[in-house]
Amino acid sequence: MEKLRSFILSLYPTTKFLFAAFMMMTPLLWPGYIYSYLVPVLCLIIAMAAGKTKPYVDFVLKGLVPIVVMIFLLQSFFYPGENILWSWSIFSIKQEGIEFSLQLTSKILAVGSAIVLFFQITKINDLSRALEIAGVSPKATYVLSSALTIIPEMRLHLLRIMDAQRTRGVETEGNLSIRIKAFVPALTPLILSSFSSTDEKAITLESRAFTARTKKTSLHHLEKTKSDHVVRAILLIVFVSILIWRFFL
Amino acid sequence: MKSIAKDFTLISILLIPIGVAVNVVAGELVEILKIPLFLNQIGTMIVAMVAGPWVGAVTGGVSKLIFGIFNPTQLAFMPVAMASGIVVGFMAKKGMTKNVWKVAFTGFIVAIVAILIATPTTVIVFGGASGTGSDTVTAVLLASGKEIWTAVLTQKIFVESIDKILSIMVAYMIVRKMSDQYLSKQKYGHLYLNTYNHKNTKIGA
Repeated sequence: MEKLRSFILSLYPTTKFLFAAFMMMTPLLWPGYIYSYLVPVLCLIIAMAAGKTKPYVDFVLKGLVPIVVMIFLLQSFFYPGENILWSWSIFSIKQEGIEFSLQLTSKILAVGSAIVLFFQITKINDLSRALEIAGVSPKATYVLSSALTIIPEMRLHLLRIMDAQRTRGVETEGNLSIRIKAFVPALTPLILSSFSSTDEKAITLESRAFTARTKKTSLHHLEKTKSDHVVRAILLIVFVSILIWRFFL
Repeated sequence: MKSIAKDFTLISILLIPIGVAVNVVAGELVEILKIPLFLNQIGTMIVAMVAGPWVGAVTGGVSKLIFGIFNPTQLAFMPVAMASGIVVGFMAKKGMTKNVWKVAFTGFIVAIVAILIATPTTVIVFGGASGTGSDTVTAVLLASGKEIWTAVLTQKIFVESIDKILSIMVAYMIVRKMSDQYLSKQKYGHLYLNTYNHKNTKIGA
């Protein structure tokens, strides 16, 4: 188990991306919805093997399940159709609506859970390093990794500001208008202080030759291994066989 | 292309992650306060106002990428966020973010663009659902016999216009509170310099 876990986590970021892309593309090629519904399950198994069960299940439940439930409710009641399965006064569930919902939600679940899995098994720092190696500008990768490091910092700052504003008498609980009024005094100091810190960041980065047009060395070491080539080869073979089976046979 | 690259100075590149983080944290604040809106593009709008449309577009796009880590359905709405940044940036360049009324008009235009892009995405990709509370509006409209396109469009008109106009108002208030010294370093910061102070303080005094 431990071996499998380190195998999954130590794959090269772009290999993981190719795998996620494979999990997103194949449900769109494969007819029917049984396979598409299997993709989230397969992703769950991989997440379990990688020791990321809890965040994976959390994000799938919070991000995907509400929308899937709503699609089912909206489509099964209001999709135009003849075969009525169940009805109550003006509402009726139709066979066609269920059929359409199954098709649509299976694809959304497959694509969504592949994305969730990808971000759970890939560290953003590794991803940005891999992008840099692939030739993406360090400025772009800086934006990506910096955004992710600033968020938790800013979250703490926000909680502190909210506490401070509460002691000054700003109400944060009560009816809607009170809560909306609390929005601006909490947000304004947070945004103003974060934006004004860009000056210092610019000076710090400049002193480390951030904009200098030279080749930069990185302390972050990232290497493709044999297992990357194996995984890539398997993905390619399976994908090509699916294409051939789908369009030529 | 050259003019686009010119907007991406070091200072404006540094604004992007902060704008993204502001979007995420503001979105969480909305949840903490249980406000039934999104208000999660305020950072994009501030960046678009002071650093131009293209930097704004990137901020919107990266924000949706980050939102997508936690909720993959958000990735489908990346074009909406990018378009909001572009529209706010161009309107700002034209001087349409200089007073409250012009800002309200800009917010209205942003809302129209958002509605035009978000409606087809919601109907085609998600069958009309969005996974948020505003789905009840869609359901009520569908139950009253409206077609799916009309129902989603009407729901979006309600939600997006309130959301975008409020967001840009908050963004404008915050940009107005930035110091002249800070604004003068931004590419389009001169649009918001406090002219009253400007007349009364001599440089070097």
